[in-house]
Amino acid sequence: MKQQNNALETQTLNLYYGSTQALIDVDIQIPKNKVTALIGPSGCGKSTLLRCFNRMNDLIPDCSLSGSILYHGEEITGRSTDVVELRKRIGMVFQQPNPFPKSIYENVIYGPKVHGMKDRKELDAIAEKSLKGAAIWEEVKDRLHDAARGLSGGQQQRLCIARTLSVDPDIILMDEPCSALDPIATAKIENLITELKEEYTVVIVTHNMQQAARVSDYTGFMYMGRLIEFDTTSVIFERPKEELTENYITGRFG
Amino acid sequence: MQKNRCESQITDLFTRQNKEKAISGIWLGTALVAVITIILILGFLLKEGLPAILEIGIPAFIFNEIWTPTSETPSYGIYSLIIGTILVTIGAIAIAVPLGIGSAIFIAEVAPPKFREAVKPAIELLAGIPSVVYGFFGLVVLTHWLRISLDLSSGATWLAGSIILGIMALPTIVSVSEDAISSVPKDFRSASLALGATRWQTITGVLIPSALSGITAAIILGLGRAIGETMAVLMVTGNAAIIPDPIYNILSPIRTLTATLGIEMGEVAIGSTHYHALFGMALVLLLITLIVNLSATVILARIREGQIGSSRAPFLSHDHQNQIKSILLLVILAGLCLFSYQVVGIFGIAILTAILALCYGGLRILSRQSKEKIAFAIVTSATALVLFALVAIIFDIVSNGLPAITWEFLTEGPRNLGRSGGIFPAIIGTLYLVIGAIAIALPIGVGAAIYLNEYTLEGRLTRIIRAGNDLLNGTPSIVFGLFGFAFLVIFVGLGVSLLAGQITLTLMILPTIIRTSEEALKSVPDSLRHGSLALGATRWHTILRVVLPAAAPGILTGTILGIGRAAGETAPLLFTAVVFSKRYLPTSVFEPVMALPYHLFILATNVPGADTQKYGTALVLLVLVTGIYAVAILMRRHAQKTVRW
Ligand SMILES: Nc1ncnc2c1ncn2[C@@H]1O[C@H](COP(=O)(O)OP(=O)(O)OP(=O)(O)O)[C@@H](O)[C@H]1O
Ligand SMILES: [Mg+2]
Repeated sequence: MKQQNNALETQTLNLYYGSTQALIDVDIQIPKNKVTALIGPSGCGKSTLLRCFNRMNDLIPDCSLSGSILYHGEEITGRSTDVVELRKRIGMVFQQPNPFPKSIYENVIYGPKVHGMKDRKELDAIAEKSLKGAAIWEEVKDRLHDAARGLSGGQQQRLCIARTLSVDPDIILMDEPCSALDPIATAKIENLITELKEEYTVVIVTHNMQQAARVSDYTGFMYMGRLIEFDTTSVIFERPKEELTENYITGRFG
Repeated sequence: MQKNRCESQITDLFTRQNKEKAISGIWLGTALVAVITIILILGFLLKEGLPAILEIGIPAFIFNEIWTPTSETPSYGIYSLIIGTILVTIGAIAIAVPLGIGSAIFIAEVAPPKFREAVKPAIELLAGIPSVVYGFFGLVVLTHWLRISLDLSSGATWLAGSIILGIMALPTIVSVSEDAISSVPKDFRSASLALGATRWQTITGVLIPSALSGITAAIILGLGRAIGETMAVLMVTGNAAIIPDPIYNILSPIRTLTATLGIEMGEVAIGSTHYHALFGMALVLLLITLIVNLSATVILARIREGQIGSSRAPFLSHDHQNQIKSILLLVILAGLCLFSYQVVGIFGIAILTAILALCYGGLRILSRQSKEKIAFAIVTSATALVLFALVAIIFDIVSNGLPAITWEFLTEGPRNLGRSGGIFPAIIGTLYLVIGAIAIALPIGVGAAIYLNEYTLEGRLTRIIRAGNDLLNGTPSIVFGLFGFAFLVIFVGLGVSLLAGQITLTLMILPTIIRTSEEALKSVPDSLRHGSLALGATRWHTILRVVLPAAAPGILTGTILGIGRAAGETAPLLFTAVVFSKRYLPTSVFEPVMALPYHLFILATNVPGADTQKYGTALVLLVLVTGIYAVAILMRRHAQKTVRW
């Protein structure tokens, strides 16, 4: 019963880059249709953990892991897992906006096309739906065929979110999606994230404490490869159990 | 006293400023050399060629297909030669582009990083093999093999020409497109994979489109090399001035513009209509390369514009792109059909149809993971084929050439038309030519780069200089040969001499040196310059003491590439500097010399029964030139590894 409510779950997850260990015995449960924030000092393994969920770590030579990762209760670390299908279900938004050097429209329909959709009408509908979902439709609807690289940074990032939505994932991983953006663009994306949780499970890595407090329902605090504490955001920010967590969120350490 | 010092400082200042002005004037002068050269080339081609064209009449010159300049009733139509040039180039591109891009994909994206580390420099090295060596291999091995395996009366055909030119263009195409693909930001790759695309989908959907301008540039470089090539085509195409019948008959002999110039220029009576018609032909050749280069520039600019984003409408709308894709596909299919028909007969078409049907069916049924596997297998085999071809050439030359290498061969003059004795004068002649060319080209080239990069802002003048440089760079080497003959040998009166050859080579390698030097200067950060200028150093002083030392490795690399190119070239020397068999070394720069590439060319085409000597000469030339290139590549790697600014 409990499992059903977790979109993602890890059990004693250990991860190594060559011989250096980046994750140590991580046990985390990411609840469905909630926003979960991962916080912690630089280099503590937040991105690494995030990349485990959609197996992007596969691309890093000599990266190895042990333990298990469950996606809706199903093991996804094995060789038999269809990574391509997995990545379709678990989308990812990167730190730097990275639209392809194509038109806005082509960026959004890239995913569906890759997954075999050809019909132009369907593609048009998906493009519109995804762009609306990422709250950028109004801004770009008249210039869908312009180059995506001509958009502002904030618009590019929302386009990337739209691109992620286009393949209809059920989890969206975001790795510091606002760190390259100005406050106004950041506010837009934060609003968007709160809207997204209606339909999606969101995991977001952030360095910005206020942002974590504003957008997330749950927060995990990581430190040197370990998950130190995981609880609802209000608990973590108001009465954390661990001293390390408290020190970190009150800015009392370097 | 006080006043006096002031005054002397001011006069100092004046002389210093004058000195700066004088120096900048000198650099301007060097920067103009390229422009002046291209103007002179055009001028001389027009002067020598236009009267003949007008006398023959433009339509009769361009559109008449009969080229019989030495018959009783001469006819000067170059149509079949133009067609020959185009056909050989198309064939070469059809071979080199798929193989080259396939290999580039394999090396950049599929192969393990270790393979890439090893193969990349090797392929760059192969780009340096002199064209006469390719031609020699084509003549001795390829045409022979084609004749036997296809049961032809002669293997010297359009097909042979296209294969050799294709192989020649491959290293450049592979190396430049590989650079383009692997410099696509990692972000794009991650984004595509994170959407659930397979690696192959990522390659075709994101990486190749993002690298399109680089890949296009690679193809154009290859195309330029194919159109302008003289020696290799001349040696393998059979040189019959006819239009293949039917037009797609790739087993027909063929003759190109460049080959005609290479063959006939040396034997023509100076001042005859034939002589002038050859200059007219060179003019047409230059125009063709000009058009290719121009359209390339335009296309590249549009591709880049489309990616960066601009207010202009996209280069091609989506539907147009699709239309073009289907048309291209049809053309390729038709080409394949005709090719297989021509080579295997009606059976070929049947086999081809079966294969295509299989492919089409396969594409429908297969999952994308299986498609990826097949695609990877295809690019792997493309790479294997490319490496095999290149290794086969080198192996053939090394294994047959080694027995010829004796002390006598390397230190004595040729006897009995090169059938015995050695190639010492040819080695020395090549060294003289190269040293002379570099000694002139280096100061001019570096000076021009300094002017462009340090002494002036971008403006109309720099644009003209750069355009001149690009034009010069795209000029076929045989055209340099004609120009050298008309201008240096005849007009200036140097005669066929070492000096004329050195100057001709100088002009030919100048664009390379200017361009690489400019890149080297550009990579020196401004902070270094500002640091020096802020200390009160003059501009010249700053350049001399700070900028040039920092840019030296890059400039040196460019210089070495220039040396390699000069050492391997034949066409520019044909009518300006070389003689075939000369037992003694030149005693002055006004005497003609022997040169390795020319010696090989004559041995291979005109001297029956000197097989060991041929291979020996080819080996020495190959080792010399690739050795020079190896030094350049090692130096560049070294410079890349040492601390970046
Ligand atoms: N590709 C890699 N190869 C080797 N080590 C890596 C690699 N990526 C990350 N690491 C190491 O793993 C540890 C965790 O890195 P990770 O990027 O997950 O940290 P992070 O919490 O996301 O940091 P930041 O907040 O700076 O993004 C770091 O010590 C880092 O140096
Ligand atoms: Mg990170």
